[in-house]
Amino acid sequence: MNRHELSLVLRNAPGALARVVVLFSSRGVDVESLSLDPTERGDVSRMDVVVWLPAGRNPDQLVKQLSRLVDVKSVVAVADPARNQIGA
Amino acid sequence: MDTVTGASSLVRALEDAGCEVIFGIPGGAILPAYDPLLDSVKIRHVLVRHEQGAGHAASGYAQATGRVGVCVATSGPGATNLVTPLADAYMDSVPIVAITGQVNRSMIGTDAFQEADIRSISLPITKHAFQVTDPADIPAVIAEAFALAAGGRPGPVLVDIPKDVLAATTTYTPAAPVAISRITPAANEIRRAAGLIASSRRPVFYIGGGVVRAGAAAELRTLAERTGIPVVTTLMARGAFPDSHRQHLGMPGMHGTVPAVAALQQSDLLIALGTRFDDRVTGVLDLFAPNAAVIHADIDPAEISKNRKADVPIVGDCKDVLVSLNAAVRRAPVLTSWWAYLDGLRDRFPLGYDWPADGKLAPQHVIERIGTLVGPEAIYTAGVGQHQMWAAQFVGYERPGSFINSGGLGTMGFAVPAAMGAQCGVPDRAVWAIDGDGCFQMTNQELVTCALDGIPIKVAIINNGNLGMVRQWQNLFYRGRYSNTGLSTHDRVPDFVALAEALGCAGLRCTEKSEVDDVIMRAMEVRDRPVVIDFVVGEDAQVWPMVAAGTGNDEIMTVRGIKPLFDEDL
Repeated sequence: MNRHELSLVLRNAPGALARVVVLFSSRGVDVESLSLDPTERGDVSRMDVVVWLPAGRNPDQLVKQLSRLVDVKSVVAVADPARNQIGA
Repeated sequence: MDTVTGASSLVRALEDAGCEVIFGIPGGAILPAYDPLLDSVKIRHVLVRHEQGAGHAASGYAQATGRVGVCVATSGPGATNLVTPLADAYMDSVPIVAITGQVNRSMIGTDAFQEADIRSISLPITKHAFQVTDPADIPAVIAEAFALAAGGRPGPVLVDIPKDVLAATTTYTPAAPVAISRITPAANEIRRAAGLIASSRRPVFYIGGGVVRAGAAAELRTLAERTGIPVVTTLMARGAFPDSHRQHLGMPGMHGTVPAVAALQQSDLLIALGTRFDDRVTGVLDLFAPNAAVIHADIDPAEISKNRKADVPIVGDCKDVLVSLNAAVRRAPVLTSWWAYLDGLRDRFPLGYDWPADGKLAPQHVIERIGTLVGPEAIYTAGVGQHQMWAAQFVGYERPGSFINSGGLGTMGFAVPAAMGAQCGVPDRAVWAIDGDGCFQMTNQELVTCALDGIPIKVAIINNGNLGMVRQWQNLFYRGRYSNTGLSTHDRVPDFVALAEALGCAGLRCTEKSEVDDVIMRAMEVRDRPVVIDFVVGEDAQVWPMVAAGTGNDEIMTVRGIKPLFDEDL
């Protein structure tokens, strides 16, 4: 299993959080942590989530599946923070 | 800006969205919407007998017309009965909008009578779901729901509306047009694809339902004929390329033709358009088309490289992709030896069947005769199981959208309500439901709707007295231990002819080969009510060829134990 960090901008719409969480559940994604914070814009929130995927499963697929959701305004896979530290 | 009720606003918004027919059933929470519906001259309401029928009818309508299908149900059980059609439409990318009543806003979350959280229930099986809490939002929400259902990769959208929102006074402001962006296929990927096509030796067009949804059959035919490349059409794409065309090798997959399966397996270039490398097509993924490079075009980026890595990924509508490829491909590949190989397979392994030893009708013969006598201008629907595979194999399809079935979810009982919806959308075409005796017993109540509403579908029950596909697997993989697959329909329980009459239809029965053509012709002559034909067929007939689950496509069997691609040096 590999650890991945995702950062999403989510519309403040009813059911938006549920839709993201259900996608993790139905696509077999293990969630380690999830935080949701308001932004300066009132209509969107920022979600940071750390997930575990089976080795060999590319997070790109998950990013694309999240992008399909109407209430997800943007989603990016953040590079592995441990690797960033090595590079720094 | 007019002062109206939320319910009137809903009906006007539906009219403005182009809705001409709704399949539904009223109930407590949706009741306010049914009052202004009575006065609408633009919308026909078809009163179904079960909400599942409404959902599949909306899907059949959408697939027959290319427009958005609409179904309506009340809160609670009405809404939960839509779950199967929503999941079905999600898997097969069918644009439908489901409108459900909900309990009053103040009652939500109190376990009120007929309350179900349908928005949450539908999360993994819809593109999106709305719950309207402000009646002023109704026109914009309906417009957006239609745009979402039809735009991009099509799919189902739910709109849940509390009863007091429908009853409230509001204003009607026509919604602004909803902008749906359309991705242009990347020029560099199109160039790379054209280069690979020109230099390929064993290319094949692997065509999926996306080509049908995109309305790109003509563009496909142009490119196929310019390049001379063979074509296979998946279950969802039957009709996207004419069966009568000499470049067509048939359907690939678990019950595909030997030439179609071999074309994929031996290929050096898969040109996959609007298809998702489903497990029923690929068999064991690691053994699928092992030497092929892959061009994969799909409108949904999440499908590309999901199951099989694409060497050339192209995100775009199949019509745009094919138009671009037609402009970019300048040189046809040399395919003489490839065609010699494929033609050899075609000669040696045509689709065929044996007549049952017990003297009963061969189901394949019945379906083949329906296809021949009714012809390619008709629309055919199917349920799920053996009859569905035979309907895919033995009816010749010449037009996109002429075969409507449940491919992804595999929903038994799909055929009758889908035929009802299709017939409402295209009243001038003959619509034939090819159904099984098991499937028919799940949704035949909609024949009452058809009889009363002047929807003259034909239903051919391929009655083998069993849950045939399950029985086939029990025969092949469970040592012939037939656990709970006998349905007693050969003992006339139910008597399908009597049942048809009771449902307001004409009922016919056919048990002899000599009667098959005559009974089909007699059914075609009945125009004032639906017709049900009970074709009593042998119970031991099996669907072949077959790639057993858990094996690679090279192990395709033409009959039990005979594996031509695996055993022979071709």
